[in-house]
Amino acid sequence: MSFLKINNVSKSYGSTRVLHNIDIDVQEGEFLVLVGPSGCGKSTLLNMIAGLEDITSGTIAIKGQAMNGVHPSKRNIAMVFQSYALYPNMTVGQNITFGLEMHGIPRPEREKAMAEVAEMLQIKPLLSRKPGQLSGGQRQRVAMGRALVRDPDVFLFDEPLSNLDAKLRVDMRTEIKKLHHKLGTTIVYVTHDQIEAMTLSTRIAVMNAGYVQQLGTPKEIYDNPANLFVASFMGSPSMNLVAAKVVANADGIFAQLATGLRDKVNLKFSKPSEALKGFDQKEIVLGIRPEAITDPEGADRKASHIEQITNRVIVTEPAGSDTYVMSSLGGKDCNARMRADAQVIAGQDVPFAINMDKAIPFDPSSEMRIA
Amino acid sequence: MMRPHFSQNNENLGAGIMVDQTNSSVAMAADYAVPTAVKPDLRTRLQKLIPKLVLSPSLALILVFVYGFVIFSVYLSFTGSRILPVYDWVGLENYEKLFRLRNWSIAIKNLGIFAGLYITVCTAIGLGLAILLDQKIRGEGFLRPIFLYPMALSFIVTGTAWKWFLDPGIGLEHTIHLWGWESFEFDWIKNRDFAIYTVVIAAVWQTSGFVMAMFLAGLRGIDNEILKAAQIDGASNWNMYRRIIIPQLRPAFLSAFVILSHLAIKSYDLVVALTGGGPGRATELPATFMYSYTFTRNQMGIGASSAVIMLMTIAAIMVPYLYAELREKK
Amino acid sequence: MSVASTENAISTGRITRAFIYLVLILFVTFYLLPFGIMVINSVKPLSEITGGNMMALPQVFTLDPWFNAWNSAQIGVDPTGLKPYFWNSLKMVFPAVAISTVLGALNGYVLTKWRFRGDTLLFGLMLFACFIPFQIVLIPMARVLGFLGISGSTPGLVLVHVVYGLSFTTLYFRNYYQVFPTELVRAAQIDGAGFFRIFWRIMLPSSGPIIVVSVIWQFTNIWNDFLFGASFADQDSQPMTVALNNLVSSSTGVKEYNVHFAGAILAALPTLLVYIVAGRYFVRGLMAGSVKG
Repeated sequence: MSFLKINNVSKSYGSTRVLHNIDIDVQEGEFLVLVGPSGCGKSTLLNMIAGLEDITSGTIAIKGQAMNGVHPSKRNIAMVFQSYALYPNMTVGQNITFGLEMHGIPRPEREKAMAEVAEMLQIKPLLSRKPGQLSGGQRQRVAMGRALVRDPDVFLFDEPLSNLDAKLRVDMRTEIKKLHHKLGTTIVYVTHDQIEAMTLSTRIAVMNAGYVQQLGTPKEIYDNPANLFVASFMGSPSMNLVAAKVVANADGIFAQLATGLRDKVNLKFSKPSEALKGFDQKEIVLGIRPEAITDPEGADRKASHIEQITNRVIVTEPAGSDTYVMSSLGGKDCNARMRADAQVIAGQDVPFAINMDKAIPFDPSSEMRIA
Repeated sequence: MMRPHFSQNNENLGAGIMVDQTNSSVAMAADYAVPTAVKPDLRTRLQKLIPKLVLSPSLALILVFVYGFVIFSVYLSFTGSRILPVYDWVGLENYEKLFRLRNWSIAIKNLGIFAGLYITVCTAIGLGLAILLDQKIRGEGFLRPIFLYPMALSFIVTGTAWKWFLDPGIGLEHTIHLWGWESFEFDWIKNRDFAIYTVVIAAVWQTSGFVMAMFLAGLRGIDNEILKAAQIDGASNWNMYRRIIIPQLRPAFLSAFVILSHLAIKSYDLVVALTGGGPGRATELPATFMYSYTFTRNQMGIGASSAVIMLMTIAAIMVPYLYAELREKK
Repeated sequence: MSVASTENAISTGRITRAFIYLVLILFVTFYLLPFGIMVINSVKPLSEITGGNMMALPQVFTLDPWFNAWNSAQIGVDPTGLKPYFWNSLKMVFPAVAISTVLGALNGYVLTKWRFRGDTLLFGLMLFACFIPFQIVLIPMARVLGFLGISGSTPGLVLVHVVYGLSFTTLYFRNYYQVFPTELVRAAQIDGAGFFRIFWRIMLPSSGPIIVVSVIWQFTNIWNDFLFGASFADQDSQPMTVALNNLVSSSTGVKEYNVHFAGAILAALPTLLVYIVAGRYFVRGLMAGSVKG
């Protein structure tokens, strides 16, 4: 049985339902990321775990104890907020120990706990300052210190990095991951940034419109997105989703689509599922990640089947480490990732290698992956 | 349940925690099997109740002393109360009487003149001064308090000051005569036809600085980049104000109108101190009418009905405004 | 207001600027003149006023009108001067300001940080109470004060001012706390602080500016009130404004203008003082609190 159990949880404000029957089990030591666009309900769910919002129906249990109606301070959780929520009138030290003080921990113990957390986060020189005198990154550390000092069962993070600039965000991301490795605590982390979700988590719950769209490891989510929403939301640049028609014949099952040069090109599925056969002569949406479309030299050697087609380059975007090449596929602009030194110029017709192991068919009507 | 547990070993802090947690998870693994419901404890339930308990005395005061009293007054206005409240229902009789009273029609007409001029002039002066002060004026910090200080005064003080300043015997007229302009005449405060305008002057003096502050805040809130863009587009200063800035002050205009109109309808002290409602009944306003009919002429039913009319006038302005404001903020 | 940038992108020519300063100086005269004349004439002997020019500086400087107004002027039936009424006002103002501010702060805190179903409606009800014409409550209020046994007394006036000031203080604190980050309250909840502890340790230390606004607003309004004082006070509890009006409009004897002026300035002093000391915060807070101009 799981450490943190979210069981059939729903949330309504009046007659508007914002969360629908959420079921998530979190094991001890897991790093679960709730990711989704704004308004998907991820923060609401986090607040319900924290006890800051009531649960309309269902139960949330920590260590086997149902937490419905239990005061936030009695759940043994700690939370890091997006704005850091540092008490402006207190020093850093007072901010960190406020929770201990509220729980009646004697001063010597508080001081000791504070010193140790300050040591760990390298904020010792800041302890007597006020939050207003700190930089964004320092505030972030203090907010984490305030959570750490309480030694909670579950850490809750509400978009903790979104107020930092890009460089600092990457640094703090690494730091949070290190901290998780070191302490092995259970973490639930909310973000709208899918890169944060991929890099930090042991498991991801992708949410949209109040539903969990998919729950799985970062690799599962990335490689086998359950539906079109997950496919387009996770990954940057995002997955190419192009219209195609399924053609089944003696040679196998093909996705038939238009390129910039020809009306019909057949791409053979390397490992078609049984269900895909039922789509013969029907329209599907074919999902191919940019890194699965390369220059022939850059193609994955381990791929079981690679289709090579010639297509006209519309525009190139050299990104330093790679060059992104736009061409037309299935009537849409399609992004390919080539090696940085691949020689391609807009307007040229060049060969593209498509790794069909990574091509994922979706049913356009249900938007689900065909599997 | 919450002890700081960095207790044993500073050096090996992280490891210490890990061991601790692994142990506990092994020990407790079996316990998680069935979620046990915890009843919300007393403190948690109390925490939910406290906010409402804290709000309730104020709410009770408002409900009784504002809304209860309003209902009571409305009821009184349908009774034949004179010196004391009586509870016989006379229907609309008081209202019929009220609108036949010459004093009431004078009061209504005066309120129309007073409110119209007061709101217009205050808004014009307030906006004008705000625009002038917004031209990077040297000594703005010195000027602003001078425009604003009358707001800190009681209407009784304002009334006293203006009463003698405008008095032809010792005030402005007398002074100008002494300066040699013998034919100068300024006796409005003693003149039935003009006395109401002196009330306007004193009221404008008291509040226009406040209106200026409202407009100034609005002006300072306008995005400077918009003004730069307009300059690049070649707008003259005049056009800049007319086409770009003043239209953006709409919320300030609305607030000014709402505040000024309700002040106008409530105006009482100023008239009492400045003219005492006179000469004759020349500066009677609904507020002074209500007071004299209720407390000195012992016509409580008519007094109550005049108060109800005042309330309804204010409600007609305030309710839509507040409704829009609160919806927007939600 | 000084927090906003005072620079705008508009530039003006030299003649225009001269004109602007001229207009501003005219208005300075308009705003200063009536009060200035009161000050000048309050230190003149009466004969200089009735026989002379009110714009002229005093030829004989005398503080007698001030002492007279404070100590011995005839107000109502007794020659007590304004002194006892000044104390009456103070005794009424301090408790009324304190109570209404505390209640307003708590209400604002609840209405923004502990929201519940229907709270906007409740706030709307309170807000409308700011604007009612007080004439509508005069009759029932007189009866209720009598019923409570506090009519004609200072406690009665305190109650009246608390009730009708409450809406304003609630409005100020509610608007101020609305932009106070709710995450801080949530963090404190998780840290284990309860309703009052959060208020005391987190909200109040950051509420300085709005407390100043609320106190100044209430102080000026209650000190300057005339209607309630005239309606509900008796001889022993009459506030300064009512006494001043009695002094100025009494029809017996010679009109001692200089004494009237001195009395009026005495009545204005406390609010002017408050305004001079803390006026900047007052205006700034008003802008943030009552209108979103």
